[in-house]
Amino acid sequence: MEQNGYEVAVAYNGEEAIETVDRFRPDLILLDIMLPHMDGYEVCQRIRQTHLLEGIKIVLITALGREMDSAKGLALGADAFITKPFSNKDVVQTVSGLLKASQ
Amino acid sequence: MKPSNKYWLFVSISVALTIFIVTGLCLYLWYQLSPEEKQLTFTIIKDHFIYIFGAGFVLLAGFGFLLDGIFNNYILPLNKLIEEVNIISSVNASHRINMEGSKEIVKLSEIINEGAQRFEEMRSTVAQKIQLAKADLEEERNLLATFMAELPEGVLICNTEGRILFYNKQAKFFLEGKKEEDGETISGKFIGLGRSVFNVIDKNVIVHALDEIAVKLKKKEPNAVSYFVIVGKNENLLRVEAAPVLSSNKQLTGFLLIIFDISQQLDIDYKVDLMLKSLSRDIRASVASIRAAIEAIVDYPSMDRHQRQIFDSIIHKESVSLGEILDGAAIDRSTHLHSQWPLVQMPARDLLETIQQKAEHKLNVHIDIEGTDSHEWVKVDSYSIISAMLFVIRQVQKETGLDHLFFTVNEVENFVNIDLIWEGYAVTIETIRKWDDKPLYTEDEGVPLTLKEIIGHHEAEIWSYSCEGCSDRSYLRFCLPAVESPESNVIRTMTILPESRPEFYDFDLFNQPGQNPELDNSLLTELTYTVFDTETTGLDPKGGDEIIAIGAVRIVNGRLLHEESFDQLIDPKRSVPPESTAIHGIQPDMLVGQPTIEEVLPLFHKYAEDTILVAHNAAFDMRMLEMKEKSTGIHFINPVLDTLLLAALAHPSQHDQNLEAITKRFGISILGRHTALGDAIATAEMFLKFIPLLSQMGILTLKEARQASKKTYYSRLRY
Repeated sequence: MEQNGYEVAVAYNGEEAIETVDRFRPDLILLDIMLPHMDGYEVCQRIRQTHLLEGIKIVLITALGREMDSAKGLALGADAFITKPFSNKDVVQTVSGLLKASQ
Repeated sequence: MKPSNKYWLFVSISVALTIFIVTGLCLYLWYQLSPEEKQLTFTIIKDHFIYIFGAGFVLLAGFGFLLDGIFNNYILPLNKLIEEVNIISSVNASHRINMEGSKEIVKLSEIINEGAQRFEEMRSTVAQKIQLAKADLEEERNLLATFMAELPEGVLICNTEGRILFYNKQAKFFLEGKKEEDGETISGKFIGLGRSVFNVIDKNVIVHALDEIAVKLKKKEPNAVSYFVIVGKNENLLRVEAAPVLSSNKQLTGFLLIIFDISQQLDIDYKVDLMLKSLSRDIRASVASIRAAIEAIVDYPSMDRHQRQIFDSIIHKESVSLGEILDGAAIDRSTHLHSQWPLVQMPARDLLETIQQKAEHKLNVHIDIEGTDSHEWVKVDSYSIISAMLFVIRQVQKETGLDHLFFTVNEVENFVNIDLIWEGYAVTIETIRKWDDKPLYTEDEGVPLTLKEIIGHHEAEIWSYSCEGCSDRSYLRFCLPAVESPESNVIRTMTILPESRPEFYDFDLFNQPGQNPELDNSLLTELTYTVFDTETTGLDPKGGDEIIAIGAVRIVNGRLLHEESFDQLIDPKRSVPPESTAIHGIQPDMLVGQPTIEEVLPLFHKYAEDTILVAHNAAFDMRMLEMKEKSTGIHFINPVLDTLLLAALAHPSQHDQNLEAITKRFGISILGRHTALGDAIATAEMFLKFIPLLSQMGILTLKEARQASKKTYYSRLRY
């Protein structure tokens, strides 16, 4: 992502992610659903509640591959959904597409 | 002998006797006279011949009239009276006598009718009392029967000879084969009481199982059962568990077969096995390539750039193919998971209405269902999903303090969304996660499972959100996989018309080849019968009329077995005249695509194997079957009894011996008159009523019934 000109911050679990969002104020979050303690859905919902007006984009990443998971993610405020395994190119395309749309 | 014939015989004998006595007396007197007296007498007779002859004629005529009066007013009605009283006392207590005859006879029948009325009332009182006493027993029996019928396994109980003593509908389904949509069987194998189990399961397999059980019993093993696998009629694999039925002194009195359909499980196991094998093979190959490439890179850090690019591209290619392997390895997980905890299709609306009632009743929560014409179907284990939803409703009630909620249901793509809606804030995922691991007990009911387990089992998801732009309304969504609604069954209607077929006697019932002394000397009450009826395109078997339906039921040990019926329409390969359609109501288009007589007759032959054939006016039906002997190669050698002849035997004084008249006398109501099966059932019920009447006449065995039938004047007629 850095090679593509994005500034990146990394968090290793749900709580850390929420802290980082408060500090870093990102334009977009790549969020794995399978996280220790607090899952990706919950993080997504919390961020949406606390950063209501900021227009942060959220991309959920899952290894489950069920259609129902994406329905749930989108209902809880995610903007896009990527299923593992994926290529780097897919991620960069999704990210740039979402960011362009928001500008 | 017919009563009117008896009458004429009686009259002839009386007249002959009178003439004989008078003539004898005259001759005797004549020889006592001297020649002069003879001359005198002769002169007197000659002079007054006209008077003497007149007096004699008047005397004889008077005597004749008197005899006729006595016979028609007393003797004939008395004979009929005996038959009628017999009907009342033995088969139909509601039957009433309507007699013409002398005043005394009419009076007597009135008195008998009054007596019959009291008899019937008394009998119904007694029957009621017996009924009450039997009710409890009956209930238990029904409970057991229902339980057996609803078991997912097939159950067969046989005696040591392999005769079936008990079966349930699953066993019938597994072994007998496909049931067509309209309930007609197309298979040559029959399961029924008293039939041999070896018809449907290879004898050698059962003998082997019984031998194995015998060995285990001898060794006093606690689990003396044997297992084997057979192929069912629908090509499915059946696992059979054979267990002995022992008497109190440990003697083998029969055996029990429990049949499990293992096809689906085997199929799933096979697919999973295949998937695991191919997964393991493909993953090994890719991982091996990646590992080799990485080890080469690590071992030779100084390799040139071109070489390195080759290894990099190998790693990339193999990791892409690993992803593809995972995508391709999709298997119907849900079928596999649900084989032990099955889900059942039901309309989502029914589910919600049940929840609505329970929530109102148990939680005092009022729920309105919005959108009344939803037709979504879901696949659920209703009890556990209802428990889960009630649990959630209760939690929402605790969180929000509300006791008025809404339900909506809608289908989006492949999901059915059931939304629980309330005025207020949404429940957070964090809160729902706290519910996840609690067992779902409310005050008095629930399941020992967690919300997470039940939602997971249903392949469902649950989340809560507030809709954008309407923050005062929140949703809790149960998202279930959608299923297509099952198609409704088509019900066929039957036309019922009161018409009777003329009586035919051009088939010799009494020279059927299948008689044997053992059957002949069996009691009528102990034989197995196939009671059948045919519907045809017309009444002329020799003139090309064809069978278009065969209906039959079995009587085993004096019991009519409705469950084991044979009901088959047949394509006659010719037109069906409208006159015949008017009688049986079978429209020509109903016969299109039905099997032909060449296909059906072998099945019916198998169905009727080892039984006595019974039909009303059997000569006609047997003639129809006989006409098909050449083209089908099927020859019915079963002994035949004709209820028409039995009726003539038991009730010779009755004029009407057609099916309607007899069933009316016996108080039998026919369901589906002029459908082959309906008539066969009526004939069977009738036949069962004849058996006690015949026994009163001393007709107890098959041979006696056949001989007596033969003697009835009906049987001598030929058309």
